[in-house]
Amino acid sequence: MPVKFDYLVRETTSNLGRNVTITLASIMTVAVSLAVVGASLMLRSGVENATKRWQGGIEFVVFLRIDATQQQIESLQNDLDQSPEVSKIVFVDQQQAYSEFKTLFADSPELIDSVTAEDLPPSFRIEPVNKDVDAVESLGLTFEGRSGVDQVVFASKTIRLIQQLSSRLTVGIFVIAAFLLGAAGLLILNTIRMAMFARRREIEVMKLVGATNWFIRVPFMLEGLIQGLIGAFVAIGALAAFKPFFQQWLPSAQDIPLVGGFQVSGGEMTVIFITLGIVGIAIGAIGAGIAVSRFLDV
Amino acid sequence: MITLENVTKTYKNSTVALRDANVEIAKGEFVFLVGASGSGKSTFIRLLNKEETPEQGHIYVAGKDIGGLSSWKIPYLRRNIGCIFQDFKLLPTKTVFENVAFALEVIGRPRSVIESQVPAILDLVGLGHKSDSFPTELSGGEQQRVSVARAFVNRPLILLADEPTGNLDPATSVGIMKLLDRINKTGTTVVMATHDRGIVDTMRRRVIEIDRGSIVRDQARGVYE
Repeated sequence: MPVKFDYLVRETTSNLGRNVTITLASIMTVAVSLAVVGASLMLRSGVENATKRWQGGIEFVVFLRIDATQQQIESLQNDLDQSPEVSKIVFVDQQQAYSEFKTLFADSPELIDSVTAEDLPPSFRIEPVNKDVDAVESLGLTFEGRSGVDQVVFASKTIRLIQQLSSRLTVGIFVIAAFLLGAAGLLILNTIRMAMFARRREIEVMKLVGATNWFIRVPFMLEGLIQGLIGAFVAIGALAAFKPFFQQWLPSAQDIPLVGGFQVSGGEMTVIFITLGIVGIAIGAIGAGIAVSRFLDV
Repeated sequence: MITLENVTKTYKNSTVALRDANVEIAKGEFVFLVGASGSGKSTFIRLLNKEETPEQGHIYVAGKDIGGLSSWKIPYLRRNIGCIFQDFKLLPTKTVFENVAFALEVIGRPRSVIESQVPAILDLVGLGHKSDSFPTELSGGEQQRVSVARAFVNRPLILLADEPTGNLDPATSVGIMKLLDRINKTGTTVVMATHDRGIVDTMRRRVIEIDRGSIVRDQARGVYE
């Protein structure tokens, strides 16, 4: 049997209006917990972007001259391939360097416009077998001064520290967010339970005259889902408003050498927002679902 | 229309509400259930509506064994059964019209059906002029008429009444009984649990007496005791 749309709208809105305070409490809890999740996701992608060239054990980068010939590049690649001290080589050509550059400076279109792929040097990213600082340095320096090589740049302790800090911070924040989300789910559960209690007479009559279980359940399910969704929207709005400050607060590319800016691209923000929306809906649906299946004895 | 075969119902505190009951009620019959408080009359009624499930025995309603009815089918059983109660169970925030319309609305009847059926049934119970009143503005007898209208608006095959006159004075009760009698004359089977000796003795319909869960008397054109 189809549940009528106008009936759903009427029931759900009147339910939401009936318990304004507790509904607001659940929405705010969802919003705060999702904002925390979102902020930590932003921080993570910021750090990832900033330290992109230093991921996966890369310890130093050999930047080539922009005018390096194909021959020079191939000979260097050969030597690197054959060196027993090198465990992994990643070659980044000018096009790849340019697309990375675009992500890093997504918020400065004028900068992207003024730079083309030809302005950026190609490079080899190298993971050595021996990660000891002195060993890495002596290995790296053997490539300095070679024809076609512009400079050799080493991962600094700062970068390792930033990466470590960010990954630990992310884990910590996620644990907190998980608790907050649990609280939000329980609050929604209780809100729905109260709404059902407030409408117990209607529910009793509905059962007596033969309303189907789903007909009785759907408005309550929808109510929980909407609370989750509104909470997610609030969190998304807050993060969107907060984003410019986020990038101002964090050190820019100039402050920490060898690191890109802590940028979060528009695409990454969209993914984060969609994630928050889905999590919000899920929390609402789970909370309401448990309330409906446990306390709506039909 | 209704058949009970060796039905036994025990509650958790081991009270036996109904013991080995065998009853056959034909279509269009009017049956009084009598007995002391706690004798099992209400359980009898709740079993027919599948608000309770028996431990043993089979219950057939409109030809179907409702014992094995899966929970999602129960609503469709209840659409064939109207219920009225001592406490009316009207919704105080809805008008008379809305209370009756609610019963059709929640089973998905279209607006047009509601617009035509509800005024007709309110006229039948004599409350056509009070359709915009709220239940608190009505007398007890009028409230019970609204609840009869709600139970009957979907034209069920069976009407179950659990002490419908329990809260009403004798004169008002007579009015409700006349209404139930009219509904019964349309072919609807009526099962009514009652303590009202006067009503049972005046109407002289089939009487089933229950005593501590056992059916001790089943009498056509019977009296209260």
